Amino acid sequence: MLSPAAIADQSLAPASAASATLAFPDGLVGCQDWKNFVLLTEDEEDLPVACLQSLDQPLVRLLVTDPRLIDATYTVPLSDDDRASLDVGPAEDTALYCTLTIGADGFITANLLGPLVINPRTRRGRQLVLTDSGYSARHPVAQLQGE
Amino acid sequence: MLVLSRKAEQSLMLGPDITLTVLAIDGDRVKLGIRAPRSVSVLRQELYDQLQQANTAAVTSPADLRRVAAALHARRPDAASSLTVATTPES
Repeated sequence: MLSPAAIADQSLAPASAASATLAFPDGLVGCQDWKNFVLLTEDEEDLPVACLQSLDQPLVRLLVTDPRLIDATYTVPLSDDDRASLDVGPAEDTALYCTLTIGADGFITANLLGPLVINPRTRRGRQLVLTDSGYSARHPVAQLQGE
Repeated sequence: MLVLSRKAEQSLMLGPDITLTVLAIDGDRVKLGIRAPRSVSVLRQELYDQLQQANTAAVTSPADLRRVAAALHARRPDAASSLTVATTPES
């Protein structure tokens, strides 16, 4: 596993106070080996995007954003089972991220079908699948500028 | 692949704690009931494939972060531009 120090020479810095590992005990859907990450942000700048760096596989880096910045009405209904598996109480909040993908044509899409839901207290998360929600795994977001 | 025949309302055990029950058969549709521990993820194969594809396709270079951030900002300059790093335990 990479240590956070091993990636410190890159231009991105661990998000302050959030540099501890985020654990997805089941991995991501179809990528069961992607279990441990750190969230990296651009140093000294507030951006709407962060980088989820795998500690298991150095080349696995995912750009993530808060899906509510893409669709203000976006909500993730957590079932009792979801809450139990994340150890989230009925009144507790969760952190919510979705991955962003840059297509070959430079068009950015967001995976709103499979959000990453994290319990900020335990720093454990799961990728939920919003079956029958109508959300897409390739929700169109924006064209990369200068493409 | 193991092939078994079941009638409506009959079940299969997959290991000691997963039960798969044929609830109803209607033409070419079979309604299945699944009883499994919470830790077992149950997904339609199409959705699993779709998510796996999306996760794999999302792997990128950190160098793209700024460009993607700029595109998001240009799309909704009015929206809160910074990502709340909500993974910090509240004190």
